[in-house]
Amino acid sequence: MQEMMQERGPNRPWGKYIYLPIIMIILFAFPLVNPPLFFLTLFFSVFMYVGLTESWNLLGGYTGYVSLGHIAFFSMGAYTTAVFMNRFGISPFATAILGGVFAALLAALVGYPVLRLKGAYFTISSLLLAVVMQLIFMNWEFVGSSTGLWYKLLPVSIEANRIIFYEVMLVVALVITLLVRWVEKSKFGAGLIAIREDEDVAKMMGINTPLLKMRAFILGAFFAGVVGGVYGYYMSYVHPEVTFNINTSLLILLMSFFGGCRTWTGPLLGAVVLSLANQLIVTFIGAEISRILYGLLLVIVIIFMPNGVIQYIKGAFVSEKG
Amino acid sequence: MSLSYIVESIISGILLGGIYALLSVGFGLTWGTMKVLNISHAVFAVLGAFVAYWFFVKAGVDPILSLPLMVVLLFLVGGVVYRLVIRPVTKAKDIIMASMVATFGVAIVVENLMSFFWRPDPRILKPSYTGSSIFIGEMAISKGPLIGFAMAILAIALLYWFLHHTYTGKGVQATWQNPMGAALAGVNPEHVSLITFGLSIASAGTAGVAMALIYAFYPSVQTVWTMFVFLVTIVGGVGSVIGTALAGLLIGFIIGVSAAFLPFVWVNVLLFAFLLVILLFKPEGLFGS
Repeated sequence: MQEMMQERGPNRPWGKYIYLPIIMIILFAFPLVNPPLFFLTLFFSVFMYVGLTESWNLLGGYTGYVSLGHIAFFSMGAYTTAVFMNRFGISPFATAILGGVFAALLAALVGYPVLRLKGAYFTISSLLLAVVMQLIFMNWEFVGSSTGLWYKLLPVSIEANRIIFYEVMLVVALVITLLVRWVEKSKFGAGLIAIREDEDVAKMMGINTPLLKMRAFILGAFFAGVVGGVYGYYMSYVHPEVTFNINTSLLILLMSFFGGCRTWTGPLLGAVVLSLANQLIVTFIGAEISRILYGLLLVIVIIFMPNGVIQYIKGAFVSEKG
Repeated sequence: MSLSYIVESIISGILLGGIYALLSVGFGLTWGTMKVLNISHAVFAVLGAFVAYWFFVKAGVDPILSLPLMVVLLFLVGGVVYRLVIRPVTKAKDIIMASMVATFGVAIVVENLMSFFWRPDPRILKPSYTGSSIFIGEMAISKGPLIGFAMAILAIALLYWFLHHTYTGKGVQATWQNPMGAALAGVNPEHVSLITFGLSIASAGTAGVAMALIYAFYPSVQTVWTMFVFLVTIVGGVGSVIGTALAGLLIGFIIGVSAAFLPFVWVNVLLFAFLLVILLFKPEGLFGS
């Protein structure tokens, strides 16, 4: 709480943010140095997880409504672009936003009843949402049932292809992060944080908590849908078992908790560090080992640093000085 | 569609429901007494199935004979998980959320350890008697589900007896109803929690063996089993052995009826939709207080 006040205080020097544009310029220009494809793929997945984790954090971090259903919105986006491409021949880059819209519609449809539930009941029903959606998509002819749908590839070389997706996902992740940061500093964000502190008190203070939760849920779903739309095109197929992967929900949760889910910087740090680690472990050691390490890390984070690694390190520094 | 086909479908549904009840009893027990929502519950059912499977394949020991050994083994595993993960987590401010997220991690770890060491292929526990059926008129009821069901009912009855008729069991019940009062009366909550958690994991293992007599199992099947645990526990209401047992049988009945008329996958969609409806309108459960 104290750190938060400090961050919001008026005497925070803007100079601290000068490195951000520099990092962004370097990231945007990175494909110019002709890096190996591996790095473009690696960073693509980093950007994707940044987008997903930041969008999850809107509800999961600020209000404490831990959702395991984010993957449903992500997949909704992926399937939307796949269907528009396969049935109507419209490019996914044009319909990625539409993927977000459909994901937001789904969130609006289920949001009102599901968000009335608290704590574990909300989490369980969000998980059920993902499972039911997966089962429906697995048996729905129009979206390819259990074989999924394939995208037509971009008519360019594989290098150009990777560079295009790299840049697009970078823009998506940047926009989501900036918007989430803006929400956090806004009155809307303050309301969300009030819900986490004590929802009943927030309600009594005249905050329209159902509306705020609903907005955060829909906005998060929209972002996840856009990310999913681009991701589906990148993978060049959507498949009910690959796209709706429950492990992705675990990763999102872990990244947010690892970095610390109370600020926009936590999920950013968590997503960057852990998705880099994940890709490297999956590539060089194996997917099962990486999941074992992830599961262990989640347990360790919950037990030893429930406020995330940033707060943990800050705390260590403070106690050293004091 | 003949009547006997429908009755047969309902009977096998109810047999399955009994096993789902056992699979869920321990989950409701830890949620009710310790406020620990153990998402890794079903992964230990799969572990139990694997233990019985290895006893059967490597040593030729019948799953029913290896059951006591499996129960002891899983109880110990439960004790270790309790000491390493659950006890630290119960110090958190919001125990339910913290335990839920931490045990989600445990589930992923155990599932992937099993896939890593034993490969993710589906396996079937096939002792000689599971292949045959008994016939009543035109109906055929296979022995696998029948034996699994008997195991489940026996285990639930034992748990019920333990909770209501032994000193330790009454301590568990007392802690459940009033933790402070129980502690004042000399019940060691730490001890009660350890036993509750160990028993919960052991009962999950037993349910896993019963499931393995009917269906193929593999490490990642735990996600599906977890769904059924949620379904039964929430329909039955958290923290009542009888409520959970009744909910299991009810869900089995629904599975049986709908399986007679619908393709299998839509049965699950129907069930989970049913759960969502219950969560939304009666989150305390149909049989909850």
